[in-house]
Amino acid sequence: MARWGMVIDLDKCIGCQACTVACKSENNVPHGSPKEQQRMQEIYWNKVIAVSRGEYPTASIEIIPMPCMHCEHPPCVTVCPAKATYKRDDGIVMQNFRRCIGCKYCMVACPYGSRSFNYKEQEGKEYHRPDLPPDLGLDSKTHIGPWPFPHRTHGVVEKCTFCFHRIDEAKKRIEAGEDIKIGIDVVPACVEACPSGARVFGDLDDPESTVSKLLTSRDWFKLREDMGTEPKVFYLPR
Amino acid sequence: MSRRTFLGISAGVAAAITAGYVIKRSEINLLLEPQESNEGVLTEKWVATSCLNCPTRCAIKVRVVNGKAVRIVGNTKSTYSDGKTCPRSHIGLQVLYDPDRITSPLKRTNQQKGRDEDPGWEPVGWDEALSEIKEELERRASTPEKVLLIQGLTTSSDEDLIRRLAKAYGTANLVSEDALETEADREGKRMADGRNNSGYDLESTKYILAFGANIVESERPLARNLRMWGKIRRERPNRAKIVVIDPRYSLTAAKADEWIPINPGTEGLLAMAIANVIISEGLYDADFVDNWTSRFDNYRNLVLSNDFSPEGVAEITGVSADAIRRIAREFARSKPAIAWGGIGATNWPHGTYASHAIYCLNALVGSIDVPGGVVYQESPPYRDMPAITGNEPGISFHQAADLIWNNNVEMVMGFNSNLVMSVPDTSRWDKALANIPYYVHIAPSLTEMANYADIVLPACAYLEEWAYESSPPGSGFAEAKIKQPVVEPLQDSRPIAQIIFTLAGQLGSTVKNAFEDIGDTPEGFVEHRTEGFVSWDTFEADGVWKGQDYQYRKYNQIFHTSSKKFEFHSANLDKLLNVEFLGDNSEYSLKLITYHPVLDIMNGNQNYPWAQEIFLVMHGFGWANFVEMNSQTAYKLGIKDGAIVRVESEFGQIKARARVFEGILPGVVAIASGQGHYSSGRWANGIGVNPNEIIGVDYDDESGQPSFFNTRVRVYKA
Repeated sequence: MARWGMVIDLDKCIGCQACTVACKSENNVPHGSPKEQQRMQEIYWNKVIAVSRGEYPTASIEIIPMPCMHCEHPPCVTVCPAKATYKRDDGIVMQNFRRCIGCKYCMVACPYGSRSFNYKEQEGKEYHRPDLPPDLGLDSKTHIGPWPFPHRTHGVVEKCTFCFHRIDEAKKRIEAGEDIKIGIDVVPACVEACPSGARVFGDLDDPESTVSKLLTSRDWFKLREDMGTEPKVFYLPR
Repeated sequence: MSRRTFLGISAGVAAAITAGYVIKRSEINLLLEPQESNEGVLTEKWVATSCLNCPTRCAIKVRVVNGKAVRIVGNTKSTYSDGKTCPRSHIGLQVLYDPDRITSPLKRTNQQKGRDEDPGWEPVGWDEALSEIKEELERRASTPEKVLLIQGLTTSSDEDLIRRLAKAYGTANLVSEDALETEADREGKRMADGRNNSGYDLESTKYILAFGANIVESERPLARNLRMWGKIRRERPNRAKIVVIDPRYSLTAAKADEWIPINPGTEGLLAMAIANVIISEGLYDADFVDNWTSRFDNYRNLVLSNDFSPEGVAEITGVSADAIRRIAREFARSKPAIAWGGIGATNWPHGTYASHAIYCLNALVGSIDVPGGVVYQESPPYRDMPAITGNEPGISFHQAADLIWNNNVEMVMGFNSNLVMSVPDTSRWDKALANIPYYVHIAPSLTEMANYADIVLPACAYLEEWAYESSPPGSGFAEAKIKQPVVEPLQDSRPIAQIIFTLAGQLGSTVKNAFEDIGDTPEGFVEHRTEGFVSWDTFEADGVWKGQDYQYRKYNQIFHTSSKKFEFHSANLDKLLNVEFLGDNSEYSLKLITYHPVLDIMNGNQNYPWAQEIFLVMHGFGWANFVEMNSQTAYKLGIKDGAIVRVESEFGQIKARARVFEGILPGVVAIASGQGHYSSGRWANGIGVNPNEIIGVDYDDESGQPSFFNTRVRVYKA
C-alpha cells in the first residue's frame, strides 16, 4: 500500500496561488464574499499564507502554500466524536460529510488550520455542478466522501483530500493495464496547476518516487513537528 | 526558513492532541446506505483553446461536462510555458459565467453622460443596433479621422481585424490599451535595436537584474516567467541568482535572492551607474561591443562622467556605491545575464530613456541574441491578407488623449475596452468621455466605460469565440494557439470578429472589399490565416502550433537600425539625473506608486470571486486594496495599521485602509491596481480604490505613454 505525501519546494514556489484557484475549481469549493472573509467563514482546501519577519530594509516575507498535511497521527481523527473523519489505508485523511455533525471539534484540534466549515446555504445553486470526476464510476457503495459534487453539504466541515478521486481513478486504470504512474501522470489538481513545479506528489514508501528522491537530496522540514502529528507534507527551504 | 519559524503560524488555534493512535474508519463507512445520484456525466469533452485574461494568451484545455465548462488546465502540447498556466487561467470559468454579463444589445435613453448618470438602457435587437452603428460610420465616411478605435485586451486575430477595419475605413486613429504601460519600455529598446519584439530568454540565464520588473506578478509573459522561475532555481545544477531593484518588496523581491530598495524613478540612473562600473573596470564584452554596436564612444564618455559614478548617483537613488559596484560586477561576471526594465522603471516622463539605459546593459555584457539573454520573438507565418491602401493605423496614447480632450473625435468604438479605469486622472477623463458624441461599447460586460456608451454590443467571452493567438516575446520560437468555442455563446452575445464582418459587409465598397477573401466568418478567418501551419483538424485537436527552434547569434540580421548594429543613444540619457514629480514637495511629501498583483485580471474587469478573495497574497487579504506604507512613515503620520486614511494629490483624493508593513521604502506609499470598480458587477463594485483617480497626467517624452509613478501625495487620517 502506497503512503501518499507531498513535497513543496519553497525555492521554486512563487506565491502565485494557482494551487488555491485550481483546487477551488477541481473540487467545486464555493467562493466567499467580503462579508464571509471578515467573519473568517470562507472555505479553502488549500491556501497560501504569508509570514513576515524583520524590519525594513531587511524585512522578509515567506510565502507558504498550505494544503492539508495528511498527518500520520491526525488529531482531527482522534477528536471526532462522530467518526466522520478518518484516515485511509494509503494515509489520506478524509471527511465524510454524511457522518459529520458540524461540531468543529476537528477544526480546533488541527494545528494547521486546514479545515473549513461550510456555512453556505444548501440552496446556493451557483455552486451546483452536476458532474462527476472523469470516468470514475463513483458510487456511494464504494465511496463515502465529499464526492460526487452535488452532495456538498451545508453545516459540515470540509478539507483537502489530496484529490483522492484522481488517485482512485488512476488505480483502476492501472489495474486495467494502463501504463501510468501516480505521482507522475496523475497528481492532485494543485500539483498539476503549479506553474513553477514547486509541488511534487508521490509515494513516500517508494524509494524511487520523486518525493523520496527530493527528501534524500535536499534539506527539508515539516510544519509544527513538535505537535507529534507527523505531517506527510514536506517543505524544502530556500 | 527554520522549523522554529512555524511554531507561531497557527498560534491562535488551540491544539488538543490526546493520542497519536488512529482508528481506521473505512470499514464503518462501507456500511452506510448508498446515496441517490441521478446526475452524472452525460456528455464530456476536453476542448483545446487559449486563455485571454492577460496578454500572454496561454494554451489551455477546457473540460466541458453536459454542455457546461467546469475546469481549465494548461495544454501540455504547448512548449511556450511547458503546458503550465498562471492562476488567472482558472478564473476563465468565472469570466465566462459572470452573472453580470450583458444579455442583449442596449441603447441609451438618457442623453446625459457621466460617471453618475444612469444611462437608462433599453434592450434592442442586433439588427437595429448594427444598422445604427453602420449609419453613424457612413455619416462620417468623408471625415474618417473623426472616428477613434480603442482596443482593449482582444485576441490576436481580432487585433488584425480591428486594424484592417480602421485602415479600410480610412482612420489612423487606433489606440491600444495594451500600450498604456509598455510603450515607453518598447520605445527604449526600439531605439537600440529597431525591433519591437525583444524578450528575455529566462530559461538559460544565470543572473537577472530586475529593475522595477515584477517578473512573477505582472511582467509578461507571466506563465512562462513562472515556469522558468522554477526551472532556473532548482531544475538544473547552477541555480540562477535574481536581484530585484524596486521601491516595494514585491512578490518577485520576496522570492528573489536580494531586494534593493531604490528611490522611485531612479532605476534608469542606477543602470547608468552600473554601466559606469562595468566600463571603467573593463568588464564589458569587448568582442560584441566592437563588432556589433555603434555610437559606443559617445555613450562611454557620458557614462564615465562623474555624474554617473556610483558615488555620484548613490544619494539620488538611495543605493550605496558599494552595493552598486557589487551588483555591477556580479552582473558582468555571471554570463549570461539579463537586465530587465519593468513597469516600475519605465512608467516615467523619461521612461524611454530609462528603458534604453537598462537595455544597454544587456549589450554591454553581450547578452544579445544568446541563450539566456535577449531574444527576438518570431511570429507565426500567418497567411497574408490581400493588401489594402491607406495609412497604417496606430497612434500613441498621448495623441489619443489629445484627440478626445480637444473634442476632435465624433465617434469612438471600444473593443473590450475599459479605458477610464486604467488611465491617470480619472475625473478629467470622465468629463472628456462624456463629451464624445457617439460611443460604441463592445465587450462582454457593462464595465465603467459603458457609462459613456450610446450603444452597447454584448461581445463573447473568450471561451465562446474563434481566434488565433500569437505568443508575446519570451521564448524566441514562434507559437500560435487556437481559440475555439468551448460552449455556445451565452446571453445573445456575438464574437467581435463576427460583429466586424457583419459591419464591414454593410459598409461601402472599400470596406466591404477589404473583408472579402479572408474567410468570411470568424472560424473561416482563423482557418484561412493559419492554413500553412498543420491540417485544420490537427490544429483544432492540438490547440497549438510551434515554429522551428530558435537560432541564436543572428547578428547580421537582427538589428533593424540604420547602422544595422545595436545603437547606444546617449543624447538624452543625462535627463535621467532629474526625476520630476507632479505636486509640491512641501505640501505633498510622499510618492505614490502602484502595482498589479497577479490576480489583477487584465481584461478590465475584476468581477471574479476566485480572484477577489485571494487578491493580495502578501497581506493575506482579498476583496480589498490598501495604502501600503512603511512603519516609519506610518509612525511619522500617526497612522495605525488598518486605519482609514485619505490619500490626496493635486488631482483628487481617495479614501482607503492603511496597511503598515516593512516591505516598502519609507516616504513611498503603494496601492495595488485592479480595484475601485463602481459599475462592473456584484463582485467588483465598491471593493477598494482606484489609484489612477489621483494620479496626474504626464507623458513619456518619446513614446507618449502616460507616466503612472510621478505623482506626489499626502496621507492623513480620515
